[in-house]
Amino acid sequence: MKYCCLQCHKCWNHPVEKCIFCGQGVTPVEETQYRVIGTSEVFVPSTGNEKVPYFVNILEDLHGHKKIEKSFQKYEIGDIIDIQQNDVQRDQIGVIGTGLLGSQIAAYLIQYGYPTVLKTRSDDSAKKAVSKIQKQIAKRMSDAETEAVLQSLTITTDYSGLADCDVIIEAAAEDMDIKREIFHSISQVCKPSTILATNSSSLSIDDLAGATDRPEKCIGMHFFNPVHRMDLVEVVIGSMTSDATKDSIIGIVTALNKKPIIVQNSPGYVVNRLLLPQINEAVLLLEEGVASKEDIDSAIKLGLNHPMGPFQLADFIGLDICLSILEVLYQEFNNPKYKPAQLLSDLIEQGKLGFKSGEGFYTYGKVNR
Amino acid sequence: MYINGIGRTKFGALTKTLPELTYEAMLNAVEDSPLDITDIDAIFVSNFLGGPLNGQLHFNSIIASLLPSLNIPIIRIETACASSSVALNQAINCLEKTPNIMIVGVEKMTGTHLISPTDAIAMAGDYKNDYEQGLIFPAAYALIAQQYMSTYGISHDALEQVSYINHKNANLNPLAHFYHKDVTVEMIKQSPRVASPLNLFDCSPLSDGAAAIIISSKKQSDRDVKILSSRIATDTISLTQRESLTSFNATKIASRKVYQDTGVTPDMIDILEVHDCFTISELLALEDLGFCRPGEAPELIENGSILPGGEHPVNTDGGLKADGHPIGATGLAQIYEIVTQLRGEAGKRQVSDPKLGLTQNIGGIGGTCGITLMEGI
Repeated sequence: MKYCCLQCHKCWNHPVEKCIFCGQGVTPVEETQYRVIGTSEVFVPSTGNEKVPYFVNILEDLHGHKKIEKSFQKYEIGDIIDIQQNDVQRDQIGVIGTGLLGSQIAAYLIQYGYPTVLKTRSDDSAKKAVSKIQKQIAKRMSDAETEAVLQSLTITTDYSGLADCDVIIEAAAEDMDIKREIFHSISQVCKPSTILATNSSSLSIDDLAGATDRPEKCIGMHFFNPVHRMDLVEVVIGSMTSDATKDSIIGIVTALNKKPIIVQNSPGYVVNRLLLPQINEAVLLLEEGVASKEDIDSAIKLGLNHPMGPFQLADFIGLDICLSILEVLYQEFNNPKYKPAQLLSDLIEQGKLGFKSGEGFYTYGKVNR
Repeated sequence: MYINGIGRTKFGALTKTLPELTYEAMLNAVEDSPLDITDIDAIFVSNFLGGPLNGQLHFNSIIASLLPSLNIPIIRIETACASSSVALNQAINCLEKTPNIMIVGVEKMTGTHLISPTDAIAMAGDYKNDYEQGLIFPAAYALIAQQYMSTYGISHDALEQVSYINHKNANLNPLAHFYHKDVTVEMIKQSPRVASPLNLFDCSPLSDGAAAIIISSKKQSDRDVKILSSRIATDTISLTQRESLTSFNATKIASRKVYQDTGVTPDMIDILEVHDCFTISELLALEDLGFCRPGEAPELIENGSILPGGEHPVNTDGGLKADGHPIGATGLAQIYEIVTQLRGEAGKRQVSDPKLGLTQNIGGIGGTCGITLMEGI
């Protein structure tokens, strides 16, 4: 993509807003057809280009604009390449829920140019959500840019406001009954082509799909907290999910600059199926007096090179959330190896939910909210 | 010599890339100036960590790529956090041959993955002697703070006030990193320890941002601001080679030269921007620049002298602490604020009718210092 001043006949490789020579706005120019005017086969690996040999090609479009493009396919000088234009028409995306993840997902989507409709419960919660989203974006953009980005956010307090969305991401509380109710409601108001995705971290896509009129368009899309820093999205495929639905969601995740992984519907998917048993085992180790919580955290951090230990992470996630996911695993697999450790329930009973309540395994003092 | 155009970006954790930030600041400076980009004879670019953090060196040619077919001389200056005041100083030396010069400073510190910012910033210190012993940047300033506090019998409260005042000032600066952040003394007191006695709120943030100014040997308009003097000085970088651990000799030497050049004394200066990369360095600056005697800076803060309505308002933009510290842009952001104030264009944070303004910009732990004295016309 080039950004050109039509008056000064100058072009930039970066998305500049105005021409510094004349002050006029610039026009993005992208051709799909390029001619190969030079090519080199590279045999020396470098960071990000470990797989060799590869080709670097210098391409030129009709206007004489040049670009560099890597390929593994060999081209001859003079070959014409058709570069697929990226989807200019962005899908409209609905987000349900204004909790921790819901507002972060909405903020992230609008930063990446997706027109986004956020469904909230009331006008009051809408106000709070918009201010939260604005603050998140303002950290990364100027006020003018923030304001422009916020233009792509629409708020609705009624499911009918989501009717025209191409994809809806549900990020409500992690409770099957609540989520089924939502899936049922939206499938009644949305256009037939709307994909219904859930940000659930462990629940069954098939159970959710059963509440809708379109199980082939139901899918999991599990983001991680904090959304702007965690690069993974688990794309969870139900038994009825169609390939078209899967491909659409992978396309969106990739356009959002995140790494999609494909997971067949299964309790806890991949990340939580691995993580929660580890946290549970850490709590058992502590209960049995094998090691202190600090030393167990050190073991995982220094021995396995994780950035946080299991107790730190459990506190960060919230002990109530940890317990609820463990219970899903325990019930769904009916396997005693997932039985939640007693200490976890004890702490929750004492109101020690982790960082958010000021104390979990560790004490955090006053939490600014 | 005159400053006839200024421009900057918002400071903060921004989505824009290194070249995009640079371009935005240059464009804003050109739009502010009566000169066109084609009138510019040379560009000095100030950038500290483009190599280690962004994988980008030969940065002068990146600037050239942003100004297609201009093909003018462009040169990069790197003296750590003092890069942009030194770039300005060197540009001034070249005004005779190239009468219109742009100076642009930029840093992209967040969202980078090559090495950690802590390691990168530590490159401003003596790697072999100090850094290998774990003397990261906050630790070096922590040692200075400890010396200062024990020499003058001062508690951490004085440093908390510096942080608080800078954050309050930033709440009036829409381009500041922490424009939206409401900070209370309680939050400052509760903030986590970084290197004792310094807490998180004693430290300036990692910011992205750029600032640019255009200087000319001739006056261009009534909005010009005159540069009365620009001086730089250096000092040994390792604390082990210093006599005093409670002041920076480079600041003293460079500022004395500026005062000698112009006959200006500190009491005549209406507004100043000092290099508060850590709260302690704001105290040192006030003393080294001669606004009070050694050990008296906490009094100056307590009696309200440095507040926007005080005798010598300091860091009305929020300073490095709260406006932000995109290292290569910092010295020019200080100039941007002084020019804005001397022009009377600072809006809500405008101080009453300032005539003379001074900036103090230091590199590393006082290994380089650039001082600029400006006058409104």
